[in-house]
Amino acid sequence: MAEFVKLIDVSKCTGCRGCQVACKNWNELPAEKTSFLGSRSLQNPPELSYNTWTLIRFDEVNSEDGKLKWVMRHDACLHCETPACAKACPSPGALVKTAEGAVVHDPKYCIGCKACISACPFNIPRNSAAEEKMAKCSLCYDRITNGKKPACVTACPTGCLDFGYKDDMIAKAHKKAEASKGAIYPDNHSYGTNVLYVMPAGVKLTDLQNVNPKPGMPTTILWWKNLFKPFTLIGMGAVAGFAALHYFIKGPHLVEKKKEGGE
Amino acid sequence: MSSNMREGMVYVTTADERIVHWLLAGSCLFALFTGLGLMFHSFTFIPAMLGGHYAMKWMHIFSGVVFSFSLLAASIFWWKHVKFVPDDVKWVQQAGGYLWEAHNLPPAGMYNAGQKMFFWAVFIFGILIIATGIVMFDPTLFPVVVSRFAYMLHALAVVVIASFFVIHLYLGTFGNPGTVQIMFHGYATREYCEAHKGKWLAEKEGKGGEEA
Repeated sequence: MAEFVKLIDVSKCTGCRGCQVACKNWNELPAEKTSFLGSRSLQNPPELSYNTWTLIRFDEVNSEDGKLKWVMRHDACLHCETPACAKACPSPGALVKTAEGAVVHDPKYCIGCKACISACPFNIPRNSAAEEKMAKCSLCYDRITNGKKPACVTACPTGCLDFGYKDDMIAKAHKKAEASKGAIYPDNHSYGTNVLYVMPAGVKLTDLQNVNPKPGMPTTILWWKNLFKPFTLIGMGAVAGFAALHYFIKGPHLVEKKKEGGE
Repeated sequence: MSSNMREGMVYVTTADERIVHWLLAGSCLFALFTGLGLMFHSFTFIPAMLGGHYAMKWMHIFSGVVFSFSLLAASIFWWKHVKFVPDDVKWVQQAGGYLWEAHNLPPAGMYNAGQKMFFWAVFIFGILIIATGIVMFDPTLFPVVVSRFAYMLHALAVVVIASFFVIHLYLGTFGNPGTVQIMFHGYATREYCEAHKGKWLAEKEGKGGEEA
């Protein structure tokens, strides 16, 4: 199965939020009560949630040329190549990296422990306390395995969202970035994602909501899973082996029987 | 306790100490068992035995709650016995006589320096594992830096407590015959107490009372 990438050309987004509606439609996610955010008035609902898997984030930023700039960014799961969420997940099958590139969550196996939420470098997964489950964008796994594009990409009227074979999309991203002088995000050769952004030129990543300028596998997860996890068994095994050797070599610590008229 | 007196035996632990000990041990081991099942996907026999990962999550949480309260009770019971004294240095220098021949090991109180170290390992890393466990119960209530460190430190505490547990298991059973019964019916032989708890025995009998 071919590997895919979703490419987001942020400067082409007009904030129509067709992608948000299409996502809700295809994934049968209910609408939710929302609130007015003032200066971020185009952002609606205010945050990603268990029932909102994609969100147009709206930021007013000062561009490098000194002008005020509106940035509307399609925010959803970035589908990491080695997902931190799946590495932290205690339940096999609940979060799976597929050959197509999607990181798919399966509510059947999710136990609602929320480990994925703090593991994610991009702050994407959301939980429902009532359902005791997490949810996030699945890259429309049910569509892309049937020859269709994700619902959001199909709905996008401006060409901001694009979807295709990985190599084609990476080449396209570099071409777009070169032409517009914008940055490719995320930009980490050792932590790839199956979603790429071309950011508008002159916009600093640190000025935007929910953007991680240095994305990667959290170090605490590496210590937890690659060091302490094996050392639980190594430690117990080493100590047990040492105890067995002690018993064979030194024997049990016996208390001397009290002698007649002892000290 | 005179009705419980046995010929040549010394009553070392009270019934409530023994109950708290086994609540602490049982909850700790069950938390370890369910925790290993959650951490190692290859240990499929654990979720198979316990009814799946969702059930294990709640079993792990509840055993953690029992562990928390029994650690509190155990600390109250044993606090007066686990303070380090100058004699403990000599015990540590000679590894308690467990590894090579020791000379003139000072008589221990209720617990020797090694047992005190086990207590403090379980106490300190127990508090760490409880505190991080509370964060992990709902990581969304804490800053992400805090919750990420909680998951890592929870796993570190397991390494320490699980390793110390194996030492404790060996020294309490095979390594020291006559010990394990102290946590079952409370009695040890007089010879055992003279060898292992000399100072405690002398103080107990010096006072003339039967209870410590």
